[in-house]
Amino acid sequence: MQEPRKDILDFLKTQGFLNEKTVLQDNDSLSETGVIDSITLLQLIDFLEGKYTIQIPVEMITPENFDTLAGISQSVMTLKNG
Amino acid sequence: MAKAAHYCKKCVLDSTTPGISISGDTGLCQFCEKFTPLSPEKKEEYRTRMDTLLKSQKKQGKYDVIFALSGGVDSSYTLYRLKKDYPRLRILAVQFDNGFISETALENAQKFCDLTKSTYMRLALDQNALRNTFSKAASSTGAYPGTAKYRASDICNTCISIIKQKIIELAITTKAPFIVFAFSPGQTDAPFVTLTKPFLVWMRKLFEGNLKAMGVTERDAYLIDAQLIQPGTPEPEVTIIHPFLVWDYDKPAFKKACIRLGWIDPELKDHNSSNCLLNAFAIKNHLDKYHIHSYAYDLAALVRQGNMKREDAQEKLKVDITDASIHEVQRKLNL
Repeated sequence: MQEPRKDILDFLKTQGFLNEKTVLQDNDSLSETGVIDSITLLQLIDFLEGKYTIQIPVEMITPENFDTLAGISQSVMTLKNG
Repeated sequence: MAKAAHYCKKCVLDSTTPGISISGDTGLCQFCEKFTPLSPEKKEEYRTRMDTLLKSQKKQGKYDVIFALSGGVDSSYTLYRLKKDYPRLRILAVQFDNGFISETALENAQKFCDLTKSTYMRLALDQNALRNTFSKAASSTGAYPGTAKYRASDICNTCISIIKQKIIELAITTKAPFIVFAFSPGQTDAPFVTLTKPFLVWMRKLFEGNLKAMGVTERDAYLIDAQLIQPGTPEPEVTIIHPFLVWDYDKPAFKKACIRLGWIDPELKDHNSSNCLLNAFAIKNHLDKYHIHSYAYDLAALVRQGNMKREDAQEKLKVDITDASIHEVQRKLNL
């Protein structure tokens, strides 16, 4: 499976979460940089579940797993590869 | 010279709104281009899940549902429909008094609680502190992330976030398994949200950050009691349900049904709220700051989904900036 980083970035851009000038590093906090809040986080989860046909367990939704591009990519790959 | 607006052929978004692009090929905005309607099978799956949840009758505490009741059309109708479809539900209906709720909305809320035999609770916080907080929300820019600016005004985001935090706190302390919000299908796209402690800790931290960015110093009263979600406390076991992602959404029909049941139209000049006097000012403030109508995305989504006529949405996007209530709110907020 292709690393999901690009899909996540595309999603954040098309949904208006990120403007063109924002540069995100893999370990930047999405909440602290003002990219997501609790509602947009749920939208992102919904997108990832649809895009990768995975079920993200609620207990997995923590800042460690979903507050950075690196964390999200890793979580998606873990779930996808079982 | 101002740039000419290109309107999306399907919804109500236009190219003058920051972040919106209208395709020269299709004439659609980026959201309409990517839109996939909810399939009947998915909707049925949601309906079955809601039935299963609300009929499960866990009876852990005094209430099954903590319901956010504003006294407006959507929440009044939802309370009525919940009790009609699930008569055994024990509901605590919470009306948050932000200091700008119309008298009619207060009456409507109590009337619908009597009608549905729900327990009514008026949640009031320090009114001076709240005014000061709304004033800071109005004066600040960028306290909320980019997308939140499209979802609601800074004032409404603040008010709604306070309501969410306090309602979740109530659900945990009363051991109610469900929270119901009457958000429209334009305002949310998650029908069910299961709350876990790490998620709540994160939500609390995020909202605290928003308040801090606005310059609000006394924040604890607006946040979930930290002790309830600290390590070692039990998992909350609360699910949020948004029934308008399960039921069909037809606002004119809801209004008719509510009026038939005794709901009184407060006839506010604001096209977008039938309960909050702050809303018209909040819309104008948001337009002034970001050039975004804070209802445009919500209404555009409703039109896109087929839940509202385009011309009705366009009508709702008209702002009467001479409305005396706007100046009155401005005065009360010391702005």
